[in-house]
Amino acid sequence: MSSRDSILQRVRQSTQKRVEHPGAFPSPALRGGWRGFEDRLVTVGGESIGPVARTQLARVLRPVVEHRASGGRVIAAASLCLELGEGPWTPVADDIPPHDLEDVAVAVVRGSIAVMENGAIGIHGKDAAVQALPFLCETLVVLLSVESVVPDMHEALAALPEDALHHRHFTWVSGPSKTADIEQTLVIGAHGPRALIAVGIDAE
Amino acid sequence: MSLLLQYQPNDVKRHDEAVFDLRLRRDRAMQEVPDFTVLKRHAAAIKAHTLDHLADYLEMFEAKAHAAGAKVHWAADAKEHNEIVLNLLQHHGVRRMVKSKSMLTEECQLNPFLESHGVEVTDTDLGERIVQLGNEPPSHIVVPAIHRRRDEIGELFHRHMNTPAGETDPARLTEYARQDLRSRFLDAQAGLTGVNFAIAETGTIVVCTNEGNADLGMSLPPLHIASMGIDKIIPTVDDLAIFLRLLARSATGQHITAYTSMVTGPLRSGELHIVIVDGGRTRLLEDPSKRRALGCIRCGACLNTCPVYRRAGGHAYGEPVPGPIGSVLAPILGSGPVAASLPQASTLCGSCTSVCPVGIDLHKLLLEWRHGTAKPDPDLRYGLRIAAWLMARPALYRRVMKVVCRGHPLISKRWPGNPASRWLDARELPEFPPMSYYEKRRSENR
Ligand code: SF4
Repeated sequence: MSSRDSILQRVRQSTQKRVEHPGAFPSPALRGGWRGFEDRLVTVGGESIGPVARTQLARVLRPVVEHRASGGRVIAAASLCLELGEGPWTPVADDIPPHDLEDVAVAVVRGSIAVMENGAIGIHGKDAAVQALPFLCETLVVLLSVESVVPDMHEALAALPEDALHHRHFTWVSGPSKTADIEQTLVIGAHGPRALIAVGIDAE
Repeated sequence: MSLLLQYQPNDVKRHDEAVFDLRLRRDRAMQEVPDFTVLKRHAAAIKAHTLDHLADYLEMFEAKAHAAGAKVHWAADAKEHNEIVLNLLQHHGVRRMVKSKSMLTEECQLNPFLESHGVEVTDTDLGERIVQLGNEPPSHIVVPAIHRRRDEIGELFHRHMNTPAGETDPARLTEYARQDLRSRFLDAQAGLTGVNFAIAETGTIVVCTNEGNADLGMSLPPLHIASMGIDKIIPTVDDLAIFLRLLARSATGQHITAYTSMVTGPLRSGELHIVIVDGGRTRLLEDPSKRRALGCIRCGACLNTCPVYRRAGGHAYGEPVPGPIGSVLAPILGSGPVAASLPQASTLCGSCTSVCPVGIDLHKLLLEWRHGTAKPDPDLRYGLRIAAWLMARPALYRRVMKVVCRGHPLISKRWPGNPASRWLDARELPEFPPMSYYEKRRSENR
């Protein structure tokens, strides 16, 4: 018998399928909002800007990005560049090898959901253009509609876009990369971004 | 054990405090969640349900992962797991692999196996990298190098990465490691990750890290191998919310880890292989009185609160998973020298049970083992017999204690021929008082 079949057989022999699933979690109705999300984001080492009007987005973003990049490479998904117009960002084709993005100073990506209880931002695989981009860059800038804020993880996962699990990664990012592996001292920038900036965009 | 790394008198105290600090952080984070006791009960119920329907969920997971383009492999034990991984690597001509934290691969002793076949494995979690360079196992399931001082780590980096001698600043040491590891990420031909949760209804694996190392490891090289025990399955995406709310809060007092990636299928131009491992887990499942131990989400909270773990440190257990949960798993999953007797090494205080986010009554499980098959360590039995004999002779006992208090450096220091040397490898004796309790009382009363 294959290992697969013998494992499944042993499991079947020892289980009865009698214990029921407890059902959906009765999540208490917390109230979420951009300000609540911002407060939590700061505690996990992130920064926030906004909310700004969509028409003002490029104008607000430009100096922030230029300052963080200090001459380095700024990359955004092609569709985002189109929306932002002229700026320090250059579009990334979604079929370039990830290794070509090794020296990216700032990456600008779209976020789909923001979670108030933990400061996490859901980044859809298709919005990251190249999967490795949000983890390779030095500063990650995420654009978020203020309407995308949900109170907790229950609602966050319930709000997953239809195709979220069709694109390999859907990643929740809460603040910059960090470690406390040396004597429990918190250090920002273990492998991935050293800074994370969330930019809120006003509802139309 | 590396000679470079030596215990110092305050290490036990430092370890105890560092670990207990995690426990306090956990308390604060959990208290902030208004519904946390409900959450905990719900988590326990989902785990009980999942384990009771495990075969169906495993099959569902396999089918969905397959549909998403992943290849699923099954391994009965560590040996088969390691061979599957090696075959994949050889098939792809891989010489260099990066790996993120996976307790399962520690359990399987994957690194030495791959290295003996010419594959260079780099552990990329900073703590795991530190213990890899120090040529020792992790001492904690969440913070693998918690037993090491910054100066020891600086010395290790100096030797292996040529960093300046005497560097002890955590931020600078981390930066050196970052740069060294970045080049290894870019060079790697394959990335292996653990799995925190595997969602049956979608075939998704979920990987949580704070450093982002797993994400680099699975998005740069074209080949991603994910190793998971059969116990990682959860039924639905909705259920994931419960466990994500509990895991990081219980582990480090964070509200969620910095990175939580839901991975469904391979990269566009790559391959994803998921290896599902039994490794003794079905034997735990067979025993209804122990089954619930498989609900563990490896948060480490029970380690952080355990009075034995805090003082003994992880290496004393001789198992990849130490602490209360390690002691519960060891009689079946373990292979270390004292695996069977670990359930004896507990105070049964119940602190572990009170912090477990998925409601495992660890102290009762420890007791179960004591009643059942756990065999007492013959050394221990011998030692206890001597102690009993001595305690029944008060006059002799007092005299012996007097000698011990004065002669303790002979016992507590490592010297060739000290019969306690082996024991002292992983522990340190507490400071001895200058006189015994009896002597002290006598001199005070005089
Ligand atoms: S037994 Fe409970 S407290 Fe211990 S590591 Fe597992 S989930 Fe955490």
